[in-house]
Amino acid sequence: MGWRIRVVHETGFKYSSPVLETYNEVRLTPRSDQHQNVIVSRVETVPATRSYRYEDYWGTQVTAFDLHAPHTELLVTGTSVVETGDDSEPLRETDWAELASEHIRDRYTEMLEFTDYVSRDPELVRIAKGIRKDKEPADAVLAACELVRDTMTYQSGTTGVSTSATEAWQTGKGVCQDYAHLTLVLLREMGIPARYVSGYLLPRKDVAVGDTVSGQSHAWIEARTGGWWGFDPTNGIPIGQRHVWVAVGRDYADVSPLKGIYSGGTAEALDVAVDMTRLA
Amino acid sequence: MTPVSRAVDRRPARTRTEKEPGPESNGAGHEGGSALFDGYLEPDRPNPDAFDEMFNADGSVRAPYRQLHDAIAPTAAADLSARSEALDRAYMDQGITFSLSGKERPFPLDIVPRVISASEWSRLQRGIVQRVKALEAFLADVYNDAQIVRDGVLPRRLITSCEHFKRSAHLLNPPNGVRIHVAGIDLVRDQEGTFRVLEDNLRNPSGVSYVMENRRTMARVFPDLFTRQRVRAVGDYSTHLLHALRAAAAPNVADPNVVVLTPGVYNSAYFEHSLLARQMGVELVEGRDLFCRDNLVYMRTTEGEQRVDVVYRRIDDDFLDPLQFKPTSVLGVAGIMNAARAGNVVIANAVGNGVGDDKLVYTYVPQMIKYYLDEKPIIPNVTTLRCWLDGEREEVLDRLHELVIKPVEGSGGYGILFGPNCSAKELQKARKAIRDDPRGWIAQPVVQLSTVPTKVDDRLVPRHVDLRPFAVNDGEDVFVLPGGLTRVALPKGSLVVNSSQGGGSKDTWVLAASRAPEAERELGERGIASKAPVSGPAAEQGRELTVDQQQQQQQQGRDA
Amino acid sequence: MLARNAESLYWIGRYVERADDTARILDVSVHQLLEDATIDVDKAARRLLGVMGVDPGTAEPLDAFSLTELLGYSSDTAGSIVSSISSARENARGAREVVSSEMFECLNATWNAVPERQRYARWVGPHAFFSYIEDRAAMFSGLAASTMSRDDSWRFYLLGRSVERVDMVVRLLMSRVSDRMSSPGWLSVLRSAGAQDTYLRTYRGAVDAVRVVQFMLMDRLFPRSVFHALREAELCLQQLDNRPTARVGAKAEALRLLGRARSELEFLRPEELLDDLPAQLEGLQECIREVGEAVSLQFFHAAPWVAWTAPEVV
Repeated sequence: MGWRIRVVHETGFKYSSPVLETYNEVRLTPRSDQHQNVIVSRVETVPATRSYRYEDYWGTQVTAFDLHAPHTELLVTGTSVVETGDDSEPLRETDWAELASEHIRDRYTEMLEFTDYVSRDPELVRIAKGIRKDKEPADAVLAACELVRDTMTYQSGTTGVSTSATEAWQTGKGVCQDYAHLTLVLLREMGIPARYVSGYLLPRKDVAVGDTVSGQSHAWIEARTGGWWGFDPTNGIPIGQRHVWVAVGRDYADVSPLKGIYSGGTAEALDVAVDMTRLA
Repeated sequence: MTPVSRAVDRRPARTRTEKEPGPESNGAGHEGGSALFDGYLEPDRPNPDAFDEMFNADGSVRAPYRQLHDAIAPTAAADLSARSEALDRAYMDQGITFSLSGKERPFPLDIVPRVISASEWSRLQRGIVQRVKALEAFLADVYNDAQIVRDGVLPRRLITSCEHFKRSAHLLNPPNGVRIHVAGIDLVRDQEGTFRVLEDNLRNPSGVSYVMENRRTMARVFPDLFTRQRVRAVGDYSTHLLHALRAAAAPNVADPNVVVLTPGVYNSAYFEHSLLARQMGVELVEGRDLFCRDNLVYMRTTEGEQRVDVVYRRIDDDFLDPLQFKPTSVLGVAGIMNAARAGNVVIANAVGNGVGDDKLVYTYVPQMIKYYLDEKPIIPNVTTLRCWLDGEREEVLDRLHELVIKPVEGSGGYGILFGPNCSAKELQKARKAIRDDPRGWIAQPVVQLSTVPTKVDDRLVPRHVDLRPFAVNDGEDVFVLPGGLTRVALPKGSLVVNSSQGGGSKDTWVLAASRAPEAERELGERGIASKAPVSGPAAEQGRELTVDQQQQQQQQGRDA
Repeated sequence: MLARNAESLYWIGRYVERADDTARILDVSVHQLLEDATIDVDKAARRLLGVMGVDPGTAEPLDAFSLTELLGYSSDTAGSIVSSISSARENARGAREVVSSEMFECLNATWNAVPERQRYARWVGPHAFFSYIEDRAAMFSGLAASTMSRDDSWRFYLLGRSVERVDMVVRLLMSRVSDRMSSPGWLSVLRSAGAQDTYLRTYRGAVDAVRVVQFMLMDRLFPRSVFHALREAELCLQQLDNRPTARVGAKAEALRLLGRARSELEFLRPEELLDDLPAQLEGLQECIREVGEAVSLQFFHAAPWVAWTAPEVV
């Protein structure tokens, strides 16, 4: 049985001198699907703004707003209450031949291509070939996740938002974003359509109802082997009751939680805080 | 002071023609008449297979050009040069220039017009309308549920791999459904004289200002040419454009405020932007004159902010909205995409149109015409080999030395490779480029563009031309401006007509169908009054001295 | 209208007037330098440059020709005839849809012809160039008068032209303050302004400093007098300012400044004028500078280029 979780995600900017104009888009709104059920979700800003919502190409809810009064700090808060589901199971409804068919390759072409983040690397090509051997696609997905988790060391601060999979692979260290990008490289090399998922993870299994813990923005992957299913390569676990997903895309660039432009001064990002409360 | 009257030799060419009527077959290289056409069809000219629009292979003049030929042939070379200089001066003074390596030059306008017969044009016009309608349907489909992909007519990859496929335009449906407010369809004429589509321009096709100015200036500098036959007018383009832009606004806007958005004075097409704004009577704005607040677009005026409903933008997608595209762009308007999504402003042409004029997508336009309109293409494409299809790529690599290789994203004639002119090393480089990025290249057989007499020094010689007609879609009808921009490659033997590569232009004449009745005049519908007054009173004069008074004044003091 | 276009029109008015007046001032000065053997040529040329706000940039002795080069032909001298013409044309290029085609073509053709006219003038003498500029400026204002609607665009153009005219007449007079009362130079002041015929008819031939200064500063009817230009500028501003009437004081700073300057001249006893002429002139010049700033603050709130930055966020 899933949990009911409240997520409060705070992010924003601090400016060195008052900024007169800023335009922003945030992607902080989870959507309902077979894994989760969104009960309520809202995005607020300080200073207050009139926001506009739309659904982007990838189906993500975007909240856009602009601010024309001088301000030195912009705080964005996304609050959602979500009922999560049980652990995801690998789907085994395809084979390599079908994945290689023109129909599948064309239909999921965007989830098979390489990007600035999901970048090609000769060594990874070889590794992907090795994983693929003698395995059916779903097992190859699990094996790729396991390999990334085994090879990489989780360490924040060594990589940044713009680090590509290849760069992370060369340092051997990274965070969930790098784990996800690396896994995507391997899966797409094998010809398995795979996509980047951004969301939240409640870090502890033993959290009691009513407790608030400091959570984190998280990223994992979904692969398509007959149908889409997710796996968390950073923690080596299926997507379950502690995961809340917000957006999917080809890579981080398609799902970035807050992006915007401003004029004047210099900005630094506020510390991101994610508070997660288990409600039921 | 009109520069024209200063410079033009006023001897009327017409009277001389009457004295010395040229024989009907007074064609190229014939003795008699003037020396202008001497050696025109010399056998060792470059690309002798090309279709010449004025002369048949035997040197006789083709029907549509007969009147024009007879008017020009007897003209003295010096007279032609004087008129040609007057054209340049008129362009300099009106500021109709383009910048080439930082210097302003008059856009070279050739003195000999290019002629298209009425029947030829009527077919071209139908073909262009058909094409614009099919592409319009394609764009609407692509930015919604892409039915054409689901039905397996086109591969999805074709679209998603296109650089100008803008995901932020997904589901952004304009109020009247029009995305291609203005299209420029580039046509060429092959060796047989058949018009073919070379490429489509659905983003910011430019050049229409030259169509209008070429006509205006030709009529001023060489009026004699126009007296022999009726040429269809091009002056009302802006009326159609304004109508289409106003029709594009959301129906709730009673009196839509249209603006033209330009990158600024230093843009090479600035003259065109300002001409269109002036002719439509709307503001010409730069990005810094506009801003968005809460998804409404305003412009800054001396009386404060003013709402803007339709933006005819002449800046590229990538610079239009720093929030969605290049964040460093200072030319655009932050937030305008979301304003458009919210339905508060219409961007014309729509963002993401580039997916329709990609050179690879171009090869699928005949399928689109069949799929969306269930029609056969009226104007054929140029045969094109697609390097991204394995079979066709192999053929391209085999025949590289006889093909023209074009990058799918190129414009302005950059990056085009003429196989026959390439060294072995260049071919090798091209082979590698194609293998590395098959999606990035197409190949076509060398089309020997048709030639039209063009003034070079003191003679008229064949030079290759293309044609860019302009179409305006107001949502109900697609209007095609009669004629279009004829670009001419001025260097001998050159097949590249772009102005950045030594191209000039010609006034393009679409002949009116035999004596159109007065009721069908294109400019200024019916007269204001049903009957024009027959005579008016003579102009009034002030008081003058009589002859007698003048004489008396003169006589005074004579004796002294 | 678009704030940026309003600003362009204002500056077109100023630059064309500046080119015209500079040509007029130079025309008369250069010929005086050439004709009057008693003048210290270098000193006179430097004084004129000083008044026009131009740094000669050289210690070499100046003569009539180097003066013409500097203040007439040089495109490096801000305020020279050539740079004024080219600034006017640049402004018109960016505001083509608010000036008529005839006006633009006039400016553009003038600009195109400058190199040729300069060559010609170097050969036959500077007067040919000055009179060309005067002719073209006259043609331009004639075209403006006959092709522009009398709406805000006209008012901004006229405002610029009037403001510049005040400034230039003031400079013209400043270049003469040290002259003797009966100097023939006073006639050349009138000639620079194209005022000699009107003046002579008005004052029946008597040329003396007091009357010339009075005429140029205070005449109510002559269109190139400071008073007349001030009143014209004031009228434009009154019509441009369509905010509700202020209960106390003037509505806007520019209008207040112009109104004060105009009324000071209007109610000054003519005989007091010469008591402290240099101070009067400096006061006027300062006022014009402030008016320029106030107008730009009030009307030309075109945004500066906005440089956007996209910060990175995890």
